[in-house]
Amino acid sequence: MDKKLQTGEGFKVITLVLIAFGLFTVLAGFFTGEGTRTWANLLLNNYYFLSVTIGATFWMALQAVTQSGWSSAYIRIPQAMSNYLIVSFVLWIFMFMGLHDLYHWTHVDAVQHDAILLHKAPYLNVPFLTIRFVLFFALWIFLTQRIKKLSAEEDKHGGLTYFNKIEFTSKAYIFVLAISFSLFTIDWLMSLDAHWYSTIYAVKKFIMSFYHGVTWIAAIAIILHKMGLLPMLNKSHLQDFGRYIFALSIIWGYMWLSQYLLIWYANIPEETVYYVPRIMSDYKNYFYGELIINWLFPFLFLMWNRVNSNMNAMLFVVAVLIIGHWVELYMSIMPNTIESHSITYIEVGTFLGFAALFVTVIVWSLARITLIPKNHPYYIESIEQH
Amino acid sequence: MSNTNIIGIYEDETILLDAMDELQKNDVKIKDVFSPIPIHGVFEKLGITTRLPLATFIYGVVGTISVFAFLYWTSVVSYPLKFGGKPLNTLSFIIIMFVLTIFVGTLFTFLTYFIREKMYPGKEVELPVPTTTHDQFAILIEKTPGMKDAEVKKIQDLLTKTGAIEVKDSDVEYDN
Repeated sequence: MDKKLQTGEGFKVITLVLIAFGLFTVLAGFFTGEGTRTWANLLLNNYYFLSVTIGATFWMALQAVTQSGWSSAYIRIPQAMSNYLIVSFVLWIFMFMGLHDLYHWTHVDAVQHDAILLHKAPYLNVPFLTIRFVLFFALWIFLTQRIKKLSAEEDKHGGLTYFNKIEFTSKAYIFVLAISFSLFTIDWLMSLDAHWYSTIYAVKKFIMSFYHGVTWIAAIAIILHKMGLLPMLNKSHLQDFGRYIFALSIIWGYMWLSQYLLIWYANIPEETVYYVPRIMSDYKNYFYGELIINWLFPFLFLMWNRVNSNMNAMLFVVAVLIIGHWVELYMSIMPNTIESHSITYIEVGTFLGFAALFVTVIVWSLARITLIPKNHPYYIESIEQH
Repeated sequence: MSNTNIIGIYEDETILLDAMDELQKNDVKIKDVFSPIPIHGVFEKLGITTRLPLATFIYGVVGTISVFAFLYWTSVVSYPLKFGGKPLNTLSFIIIMFVLTIFVGTLFTFLTYFIREKMYPGKEVELPVPTTTHDQFAILIEKTPGMKDAEVKKIQDLLTKTGAIEVKDSDVEYDN
């Protein structure tokens, strides 16, 4: 019952090589004069894995608040993923060195002659950005680590005390996330195009992070089950994960359409400025590809009930969605920064490096906690789910 | 033959599920189960499959295509009126397509279900055991014409042994 995750030498070698490769591409990018592209890629990958972590921890908080029974056996997966927040904080500090390359509003002289940027200046300025950045990460790390600690205590002592405390902390975390992650998205992604206005952008990115957070949890649960560490995973659990991904793909598609259709219909220049470089250029294929990969494919594929109860089919869906997540962020960031749609070694290298680091952090954290929350009040309900 | 089915009546769903296992272990083919509530696992034990989801999917696809065809015909072919500088064949179709796809899928699924179940508003209920709408559960086993008395006796004994409070023959016309 208390089996722990163990990794072979091969895993260590592969992840180390990939991380080194990522580091090498970043350095190579800076030294070959591709500074802006490298910063854009660093932003993309930092945001990518932060949003996966935020989504996964949001799922964890949601399970506690709704007192869900079926998921309680898998609650240790997002808890392990939450450790990445600390790594992400450290990595993100370097992003401050690239502010001038990415964000037009950080150029003080440019702002003086720009009515829109001047109007937004009380919010969009570097000191306030730094304060928000530190505050948000501090809150996220504090609350997730507290949930994790309480859950570990529950293993030792049992009872309902810790369960109630986790539920309360989760409520606080959801409130904090709703505001802080939206503002964080506005700060770091939406302000790439500071002249643009949108009220649904942050919501869409929040749904995106929830969506992809759940796909990662499902994939990790399936892989751990195949390694024999989570033996309770049955068809009903798989179906629940599948329904989660299916439902979130619809919500994501809904958000995509809400943003696009209203802007398209109203045809106001301040709003359409976002879509002009995305539709009327070579980015067109990515633009429609984003919708097909992230909505149409999971919608039609997961509609088929037999896919939900097939582990390999689910892993295939997750693999496709990992690419879909990248394409979505690529579409959000690149047209405003590098303005060319080519995919070079920098894109591939940084993504592989970050992915290897992310997986290493998860595996490192999973190996250090008991995978099965045996004193969770709903644990029995979870394993007997049918 | 008037007595076409053997029926065992139970008072608890867990006993019923165990009884189904026991009967199937003895090669008795259960034809149907009546219950006031949905019981988890009965479908799997009975081996019943349904093609209703497939029908819904087909209705949905037909709905999407026909609604798009209608919109295309009205606003591009028959009456091409430009407004707001938008193209004729536009994305604004999506909302109507979305809503009507759900509508077509739901309505036709509902009609299909009623036709297949031979149901209509105001139909008299024909239940082999009327109390299965209140608090009792029933297992129904078909009495085939070639079945010998000894076999019937064996099934009846099995039903009693597995906890049925009553075992009886039913002459309610029941086909599925």
